[in-house]
Amino acid sequence: MWTVFRKELTETLRDRRSLFMLVALPVLLYPLLLLGFSKVVRTQTAAREARSSVVAVWGPAPADLLAAGDALDPRPGAGLPAALGEALVAGHLAPPTRDAPKPAADPLADAARAAIKGDVDVVVVAWPGLAERLDAGDQGQVTIYHDSVDEDSRHARDRAERALEAWRAGLVRARLVDRGLPAGFARAVDVVTTNVASEDRRAGQRLGSILPFVLIVMSLMGGFYASIDLTAGEKERGTMQTLLCAPVLPTEVIAGKFLTVWAMTLLAGLANIGSIAATLWRVVPGDPLGVGPGALVAAFLLFLPVSFTTSACFLAVGAFARDFKDGQNFITPVYLLLSVPSGFTLLPGVELSAWTAFVPVLNIALLIKGLLLGDATPDLVFLTLVSSALYAALALALAARVFQREQVLLGGQEPLWVTLGLERRTGQTPSPVMALVFFAVAAVIMFYGSLALEQRGILATLLGVQLGFMLAPTLAWVGAFGLDARRTLSLRLPTARGAAAALLVGVSAWAVVAGVVLRLVPQMPESLVEGLKDVVLLGREPGDAGALALGLLVVALAPGVCEELLFRGLVLSGLKKLGGWPGVLLTAILFGLAHASVHRLLPTALLGVAFGYLVLRTGSIAAGMLAHALNNGIAVVLVHTPAAAAWLGVEDPTAALPWSVTAAGVACCAAGLWLASTLPPRCADEPSRSSSSAP
Amino acid sequence: MSGPVPDPELQVDDLVKHYRGVKAVDGVSFEVRPGEVVGLLGPNGAGKTTTLRMIAGILTPTSGRVLVGGHDVRHDPLRAKHRVGFLSGDTQLYQRLSPREVLRYFGRLYGLTGAALEGRIERLVAELEMGAFADRACGTLSSGQRQRANIARAFLHAPALLVLDEPTTALDVISGQFIVEAIRRERAAGRAVLFSTHIMGEAEYLCDRLVLILGGRVVDQGALPDLLARSGRDNLTDAFLWHAGRAGAGAGA
Repeated sequence: MWTVFRKELTETLRDRRSLFMLVALPVLLYPLLLLGFSKVVRTQTAAREARSSVVAVWGPAPADLLAAGDALDPRPGAGLPAALGEALVAGHLAPPTRDAPKPAADPLADAARAAIKGDVDVVVVAWPGLAERLDAGDQGQVTIYHDSVDEDSRHARDRAERALEAWRAGLVRARLVDRGLPAGFARAVDVVTTNVASEDRRAGQRLGSILPFVLIVMSLMGGFYASIDLTAGEKERGTMQTLLCAPVLPTEVIAGKFLTVWAMTLLAGLANIGSIAATLWRVVPGDPLGVGPGALVAAFLLFLPVSFTTSACFLAVGAFARDFKDGQNFITPVYLLLSVPSGFTLLPGVELSAWTAFVPVLNIALLIKGLLLGDATPDLVFLTLVSSALYAALALALAARVFQREQVLLGGQEPLWVTLGLERRTGQTPSPVMALVFFAVAAVIMFYGSLALEQRGILATLLGVQLGFMLAPTLAWVGAFGLDARRTLSLRLPTARGAAAALLVGVSAWAVVAGVVLRLVPQMPESLVEGLKDVVLLGREPGDAGALALGLLVVALAPGVCEELLFRGLVLSGLKKLGGWPGVLLTAILFGLAHASVHRLLPTALLGVAFGYLVLRTGSIAAGMLAHALNNGIAVVLVHTPAAAAWLGVEDPTAALPWSVTAAGVACCAAGLWLASTLPPRCADEPSRSSSSAP
Repeated sequence: MSGPVPDPELQVDDLVKHYRGVKAVDGVSFEVRPGEVVGLLGPNGAGKTTTLRMIAGILTPTSGRVLVGGHDVRHDPLRAKHRVGFLSGDTQLYQRLSPREVLRYFGRLYGLTGAALEGRIERLVAELEMGAFADRACGTLSSGQRQRANIARAFLHAPALLVLDEPTTALDVISGQFIVEAIRRERAAGRAVLFSTHIMGEAEYLCDRLVLILGGRVVDQGALPDLLARSGRDNLTDAFLWHAGRAGAGAGA
């Protein structure tokens, strides 16, 4: 393995192109970007400061209205249509008020918009009677019309506001003096706001929202090129076959290649962090960064697990490509998919929590952000690292699987569809890639379909999603690709022991999830729990017998059948060709993702593991259906009959389950899974393996 | 080894390979003994390359067995691969490494290290007259130079069995001569050589025995005079065509 690694690294480092992308680009990019950016901003600001703002003054304005302002160029009546000017002076128009909603039609605002599009920056309207009211000691009205999208207009607004404020303050002062009142009489209390965020935290926030994103997006490029070069590139140049005839195990080859890709990603990460740090500290000395080198070192250390996962993913996907171009086409979507979550750190309010800690890539990006902000708690750090390690191991297992397939390694002249296993497979089961493509298609159908159904009520949405967007696509796909329905969907009855295992898991899985998972990770948001409850109640009150029956049908039976056929049927039958456990885990993650909520990802994925294992061991989809329907059915019954819930001590769905119920659930679920593990393997379900290893 | 006839270095038993339902190789059996050159003869698409790849352990057979020096290629691939030197038009070298670096890399993979490895590399560089280009990147070499480096790569670990897939195809006469000489030298050293070709003349004058393969099946095998006698023709090309005709008639009937 080390021999392979050393050689691959030597060879990769000799590729000047990727080395340039890797090291030279970031070293040059950040100083140039930052210098250029600040230079452009500075010149633009200077130019704007130097120029006077053109202020159109409409209506009968006092002569000293804008006298207190600097760099203002007042132009009475500029851009005001004559008819509108007459209407304004005649008092036919009403001034907009502070609290009233924006009027539907404001002819003056329309005219102002047109004027600002012309050569006016901002419009100040003095409403009729202003001078008279001020003389009478009353309050007059002035309106500033500006266009917030137009930088010049915004700037002019600030200047006009300052000028008007100074003018207003002058008037107040004169009135107080007239009446012999103290200077603070009208203001009464001076309120001053002070920001207590330390310079550290402010710099951290600025850097924290951008750094993880930039670091991940830029550094993954390092692995991107290396992974194509080491898989598709090697195939294209015909050296893969040379390597395979040497006495090395495929696992050694993949390990060596993986280490190389990882090393290149890390090198890119190091170059990026180094360049960012150097730029911020040396090139922009005026901006005190306040983030110590410790935080950047920590950011790099956190980059280790992310890059581990992404490197393995790149390698696994790249192995399917035939040549360099193919490789780019395959890996680019994966690159985007993996780097986009880190972009969520740019959004305000997205923070590391027990839920986001399980979203790959995003969790680390948020952890880096939290670290720079100084508010990462140890338990979240731990959770994030554990889940990242899990994803990394899964990705590496996947890559290793892919590398053991000879078609993938040698992939000759066959068309792309065939390499990917997407051709019609009459009488066969789907390939792993086909299963993934099917899931993607079904997910898109579900997304748009449920949006379309949203207005039709809970019942129609639930049934529509289950039958229309899960069951129908599954059956259509099996038919369209000529798959063997019986084997693909595991359509057979379980043995008595298998059914018993499913029964045990079905009645207890909810307790494991509610008792263990929800105890380890903090509360689901109340709104989500209430929403789920509403769905289960179908919009009715607990205790309605008809609603209970309907709920069992729609929330328990329908998902039990439809979701199982989709996930543990079609998807699992393809993914299990990557190996039993990787198949079950991947299917479970997709199952969790399909529930479209960070908060439900972990619980549903865990349920998915249990159901997937049952189907894998029993060879029967009925086992998954039974467990799934029972699991959901119990939730339905508990929500509908508060008495039953009270008996189990689960009236409050947001509170953790009592320990007694939890322990019973864990024991029962473990017994079910153990029973499943003792089942003899059903060979008929493994045609791909038996055919290749038959004597 | 026992008795006057040595044990076969390579033993292929009823080898079958299916590619997505197509039988590329359909029950091929033969042997190669130490000190023997055997030619695998057949038209393009007959299953020669697939057979040789299975012997080299690059492809896994659908069924059947390959023994190299008594080691099953499927169940004990590392030991079997140690005994095989494989060379084909598809086995390329790393473009950004020099021949010497490639040889060092493969030498390590075959478990050679230190002075033994360096000595072996120097001998091959001298034997194959590679001194002029041994330290230039492989990507900059001519195809003849590359093929010589490739020969060195396949012969590096002094394998007991050489498997050469159309080694002279796409080479000029001079480069091809390096291969022919290398094959003769290895036979003299007591190694077993199996090579595939569709050039009859080459097969006639290099091989001790021939295996004729058509449509994934062995149609005849043996020494040249026996093959000619069985087909009733006086040269290998005609004998081969006679077999092809019979196979075609058999398939048509």
